[in-house]
Formats: sequence, structure tokens, C-alpha cells
Amino acid sequence: MVDPLSKRDETVRTAATLPPEAQSPEQKLQTMLSALWERSRHTVVERAALLQEAGKLWTNDRLDEATRLRAVDSAHKLAGVLGTFGLPRGTELAREAEQVFGQPIPPSKVEIEQLLLLLAELTSLIDRGPVGSR
Amino acid sequence: MTRRILIIDDEDDIRQVAAMSLETIAGWDVILANSGKQGIERASKEQPDAILLDVMMPEMDGPTTLLKLKANGQTSHIPVLLLTAKVHGSDQRRFAEMGVAAILFKPFDPLTLARQISTALGWREDG
Repeated sequence: MVDPLSKRDETVRTAATLPPEAQSPEQKLQTMLSALWERSRHTVVERAALLQEAGKLWTNDRLDEATRLRAVDSAHKLAGVLGTFGLPRGTELAREAEQVFGQPIPPSKVEIEQLLLLLAELTSLIDRGPVGSR
Repeated sequence: MTRRILIIDDEDDIRQVAAMSLETIAGWDVILANSGKQGIERASKEQPDAILLDVMMPEMDGPTTLLKLKANGQTSHIPVLLLTAKVHGSDQRRFAEMGVAAILFKPFDPLTLARQISTALGWREDG
């Protein structure tokens, strides 16, 4: 089975080595997406930080409803955008976080611990960024 | 053939990525709106060939915007594709009854978005 993302990564690496006038439309798009990622990174980082803060508040049973709802919104937005920037694992993790923050019953301590691990992986992944973004 | 697509989404990143994708890969013209209200105004004025509409937006969400577009004689004929991160089976039926042409899922692949739209709308070109 061909992994479509490996093809995309290859396009990104190739685009980085060519001048704009020599790039195909796909390579030009990848170059533009890399630039947009750099401009958008701070928003993405802020959203991930909000999730981490909300997760920590939950461990102390201090997560208020407004922050929980903001966490659901942030996770939803991250899920929608990370895969589009070439971070499909980020979308998976953000979806899981959205589900946990969105559930009506407060999670158990074990679930919160799992959530914090998940959010740490999400933050690390965002820090690294998509292939070709640096 | 150059198409004109209206993208309605409150998320800056999504609007920009979709616009870059459709302009660069397919050569289509893109019109942007950051809310349902602005989207309805632009659809009436610009008469795009299709509308890409986000589901979750503040103030006026995607389904409400869709209903208003379909109730307006100036925009009712324009095909609308919903863009959503997740959808349940019951929502799919509801959206179909509301007149949506297709549902596309976030995250979308910018390299193939134009082709997805063309395929969903039965357009012959694939971008």
C-alpha cells in the first residue's frame, strides 16, 4: 500500500531545493504551505498550550466550565488544521483530546494521566512541525 | 475552465490553505468570507460556481448559513459543499435534506482538494 503522506513529504523536500520559477504547482503549494505554517505556528502553539493548561487544571480538579469549553474548541480547531499542514498524527491526538474534554462525565485520574501524555506528544509534534517547514 | 469558489470559514488558516490550494493547483478564482453573514452577501454579489462552507462557526453556523443560501433566490442554485471535521450519519441525512451537494472532511489534503470538489460536483476537469 502506498502511503500518500510519504509522497507528500517527497514533494516538500524537492520543493525546498528548487527556485520558485522551476517548481511545479504542487511544489509551489508546498512552499506556500510551509510559509503559512511558520506564520500560523504561534496560534497553533497557543492552542496546544491552552489544552495543556486545562489538562493540568483537571489533575487538581480545578478545571472550570468556561476553560473546558475553550479546550474543546481549541482541540477541534487543531484537529481540523494540523492534518492539512501535513501533521495527520496531530489531528488524531487533537481529536482524542476533543473527545476527552467534551465528554459530559469528568474523566478518571487514569484518563487524565493519559490525556496529559497525549497532550505532551501533541506539543512535541507541533514543536517539530511538518516536514520541510524548517 | 476557470471556476470561482467561495470559501466560508471563520478559521484564517483553513481559508488560506484552501485558497492557496485551489488557486495554485487548479487555477481557480477564490472568494473568501469569514462568517456566514459575509458569505451570504458575497454569494449574492459574486455568484460563484460553488461554495465551500464550514459547519462549525460562531454566530451563524454552517447549516444555518446553508438554509439561508437555499432560501435566497439569488443563491439557491449554487452548489454548497460542507466542510467538517466530523459528521454523524443522522447529520449526513439532515444535511442532504437541506440541499447540500457534498460533504468534505477536515483535515483535507491541499494537493487534492480541487479534485475532490470537481469529483463531488461532477465537473469534468480535475484541477
